[in-house]
Amino acid sequence: MQANMKPFEWMVKPTPQKEWIERRGILLWLAFFFIELGAGAFFVGTIFKSIEAMLVGWLVCGVIGGGIHILYLGHPFRFWRMVSRPGSSWISRGLIFVSLFLIFGLIQMIMVQAGGASPVVMVLADLFAFLTIVYGGFAMNFVNGIALWNTALLPIIYGVSGIWGGAGLALGIALASGEVSTLGPSLEEWIRLLLVAYAFLLAVYLVSVRYTNPTGRLSVQSIIFGRFKALMWLVVVLLGLALPMTIVVISFNTGIENMPAGALYLSIFCELLGDLTLRYLILKGGLYSPLIPSSAYSPSSAF
Amino acid sequence: MRLGMVIDRKRCIGCYSCQISCKAAHALPPDVFFGRVLVSETGTYPTVTKQILPVLCNHCKEAACVKVCPTGATQKREDGIVYVNSEECVGCRYCIVACPYQMRTYNSDGNKEYWPGQGLTELERVGREILYPLEPNTVIKCNFCMEKLDEGLRKGLKIGIDREATPTCVNACPVKARTFGDLDDPNSNVSKLIKERKGYPLHSELGTEPSVYYLD
Repeated sequence: MQANMKPFEWMVKPTPQKEWIERRGILLWLAFFFIELGAGAFFVGTIFKSIEAMLVGWLVCGVIGGGIHILYLGHPFRFWRMVSRPGSSWISRGLIFVSLFLIFGLIQMIMVQAGGASPVVMVLADLFAFLTIVYGGFAMNFVNGIALWNTALLPIIYGVSGIWGGAGLALGIALASGEVSTLGPSLEEWIRLLLVAYAFLLAVYLVSVRYTNPTGRLSVQSIIFGRFKALMWLVVVLLGLALPMTIVVISFNTGIENMPAGALYLSIFCELLGDLTLRYLILKGGLYSPLIPSSAYSPSSAF
Repeated sequence: MRLGMVIDRKRCIGCYSCQISCKAAHALPPDVFFGRVLVSETGTYPTVTKQILPVLCNHCKEAACVKVCPTGATQKREDGIVYVNSEECVGCRYCIVACPYQMRTYNSDGNKEYWPGQGLTELERVGREILYPLEPNTVIKCNFCMEKLDEGLRKGLKIGIDREATPTCVNACPVKARTFGDLDDPNSNVSKLIKERKGYPLHSELGTEPSVYYLD
C-alpha cells in the first residue's frame, strides 16, 4: 500500500506504479537496461565475430546489470532462491536465463580465444542472450493491472531495443579498437534496420495502449502530452531517434568509414540515452485503474 | 474451503474501527496498513455521492502475487488465504507491482518509530518483538489473521462465527458491515449474502477472482 497517497485518491483515480521506479526502484530500471544492453552486445558480438563486443557485453550484463539488480533486492544474499519458481514467475525465469547466458557466454569466449569455437555453445549462448534481452518485457507484460505494460508489444520493443542498443555498443567498441572499416558497414546496416523497426514499434505500441482502457489512455497522454512530454519529445524522439537517424542517413551516403568518429560516438550515446529514457517513461507512466468501477469516475478529471 | 469476506457498503459508516484494530493487532509500523477505509466523492454537482470503500487484501483465487513470486514466499493455503513467508522473501517487490489492488507493502524499516528521534516506546517494542514480529526488507500484507483462525480451529471454534476464530477487522466493526466465512459452502453467511444481494468483487475483469465481495 502506498504510504504517501491520500486515502481517497487510489479509490477513484488512476494511481502510478512506484515500486519499480522510485527510491530504490531506480536500481531496477538501471538493472533491466544494463542486463538487456549487455546481452544485446554479446548477441551482436557473436554474429559479427567480435570478441571485444562479446566480452564487454558479458561484463555489462553480468557485472553491472546483475550487480545492480542484486543491490535492489531487500535481501541480496537470498537471491539464489529466485530460481525456484520458473513455472510461473518471469523474474525466476529471467535469473535462469541470465545465469545460463553468463555460463555459456563465458565458455564461448574461452573457446573462441582458444581457437576452437563450438557452434552448439554459440547457439546456446545466443539463445539465452536473446531470452535475457526479452525477459524484462515479459515480466512487465504479465502485470495485467497496468494497461501500459500489459501488451504483447512490450517484450518485442524490449527485444528490438536490446539488440539495437547492443549493436550500437558493438559499433562503439569497433570504433575504439580501430575495426570500423571491417565491422562498421554491416553493423551500420543492422542499426539502420533496427532503428526503423524500433521507431515503428514504439508508435504502434503507444497508439494501441491508447485504446485499451481509460487508464491506458491516461498513461499514454501523460507520456506524450502530459508531465513527461519534455523527456519524450526532447530525449526519446529528438536525441534518441531523430539524431541517430540523421547520422545514419549521412553515413549511408558517405560510407561509415568516412564519418567523423565523434559523430558516430554522439549517435551511439544519444541512442542509448533515448532507450534508457523510454524505459524510464514506461516504468514511470504505468498507472493502476481506480478501485471503484471505471464508470464511476471521469478520466478527464484524474490529472 | 475458500475463506472470504463480504463488506456491506450500505452498513459501513466509515468509522475506521477495522483499520485501527488491524493496525493495533499487528503492531504495524507508521504508514503501514493491512486494511484501510477509503472515503471519497464521485460525480459532479449536484449529483455527488459520498463513497466509502473499506479495502484489504482480496486473497484472490487466481492471485497474481502468488504467480509472480520468484521464491515461493507468497503462498496460498488450501483454505484460500494468501500469505507471505517472510523468511523466503527476497524483497524484489514484483508482487507489489503485480497486485492490481495495491494491497501490499514493502517493510523497509522495522525500527521506524511513531515518535521520530525518540526511539521505540515500550509498547512498540513489545508489539514488534513479541506480539507480531515483521522481518525488515520484505513484503507484508493482510493474511486474514490466519494465526488467530488457526488457533481458533485448534480450540474447535467456528470460523466467522466465534470471535476467537474471526479476523480482527470483522470483530471490530460496530455496525456488522463485515461478514467472514466459507465461500465454497452455499449455506454459509457469506455465500447467502453474495447470492441474495448480488455481491461483487473489485476489478473482476482482471480474472483474479477475489475472495472479498462488496454489497451496495
